[in-house]
Amino acid sequence: MKTVLNILICVLALSVSSCYQPYDQRINVREGIRSDSLENNIATRPVLTALSALIGEGIDVTKLISTTNQAGFMEIQVSGFNRSYETRRFQFKVEWFDGSGMVIGSKASTWLPVSAVGKSPFSFSSVAPSRDAADFKLNTRREQ
Amino acid sequence: MKSKPLLMIVFACLFLCSCAPETANIDTVNDEGKAVMALDYRDFDRAASEMVQSMIKSGALAKKGGGRYVMTTGRITNDTMQRIDTDQLMAKVEQDLMNSGLVVMTSAVGGKGAPDSMVHDVRDIRRSEDADEFDQNTIAAKGQLIAPELSVAGKIFQRNIRYDNNRQQVEYYFQLMVTDINTGLRFWQNETVIGKRGSNRSVSW
Repeated sequence: MKTVLNILICVLALSVSSCYQPYDQRINVREGIRSDSLENNIATRPVLTALSALIGEGIDVTKLISTTNQAGFMEIQVSGFNRSYETRRFQFKVEWFDGSGMVIGSKASTWLPVSAVGKSPFSFSSVAPSRDAADFKLNTRREQ
Repeated sequence: MKSKPLLMIVFACLFLCSCAPETANIDTVNDEGKAVMALDYRDFDRAASEMVQSMIKSGALAKKGGGRYVMTTGRITNDTMQRIDTDQLMAKVEQDLMNSGLVVMTSAVGGKGAPDSMVHDVRDIRRSEDADEFDQNTIAAKGQLIAPELSVAGKIFQRNIRYDNNRQQVEYYFQLMVTDINTGLRFWQNETVIGKRGSNRSVSW
C-alpha cells in the first residue's frame, strides 16, 4: 500500500514539475504520438488517465472572441482546452439578443455538435442571425 | 370457479393497458431523445443552421452598395431512400435568410414549393371571362414582378455502408449552392454531412 502511494506521489510530482513544452503554442502533438518523456510514458499514462477521470477533468473555455463581420453581423468564437484524456462530445446553442435585450428568434439557434479531442485545444464559432444582434448567451449540454 | 378465468382476463387487460407507452409531446427546443437512423427534425435543424451560418459568414449575400438580393429556391433533389419533402430543409433556410435582412425571396418563380401559384392565377384573370367582374385597378399590373438575382439549389443524398457484422453506417449529405442567375457564377457552396451508426436491423428509409 505504501509503495503504491509512493509511486502515485512520484507520478504526480513528475507530471506537475516537468510538463510537455510544445515547439509552438499553435501546434499540439498528443501523447502517444510525440516522444515519451519521464513524466509521460507507457507506464505512467494509465495512472494519469485514471487520475484525470477521478478528479473529473473536462472542458475549459480559455478565450472568447466577439467581432462584427464586414456584412455587419456579430460573430463569436469560443476557444478552449479539453483537459480530459477522452474525446469530449457536447452540443452548444447560442441565443442572440438585440440592443434592448429581446431574443432574436431564429431557426439557426439550435443545438450544434462539437467534438474536442482529449488533451487538445478546440474552438467553435457562431454568427448572429441578424444585424440587430448586440449580445448573446451560449449554453452547452452533453451530446445526445 | 367460473369467476376465476374472468378475473384473470380482467387482470391481463389491465396489465396490457399499463404496458402501452405513454404518448408525450416532443420538447423540440431541448429534445433529449435518442438519435434515430433515419433523418429526423433535429438533423434538418442542424443542417439548416450550419448552411445559414455559413452563408451569412461568407459575406456572399451582402449586396454591394446595400439593399437585398432577390432570391428564389431552385431545384432541391432528394436522392435518399426516404420520402423527404425538401421544403423541410428549405423552409428553415429561407426563413432565416429573409430574417437576416440579406435577401428577399420571390414567390413568382422557382422550383418545387417556391412559387405561389396565386401570383400567376391573379394575372390569368386578365384574359379570363370573369375579368369584368374585377375592379381592373386591383388586378396586378403588367411589368411588376421582380425577377430573382440569386438562386439556391442543392441536393440531399444518402450512402449506406456496412460497418461490421452487426452495424451499418448511414451517411447523409446536404449540399446547397447559391448561383448568380445573371452571370451563372456560383457565389457560395456548402456541404453538411450527418453520419449515423447503428444496428443492421434499423431501417433508414
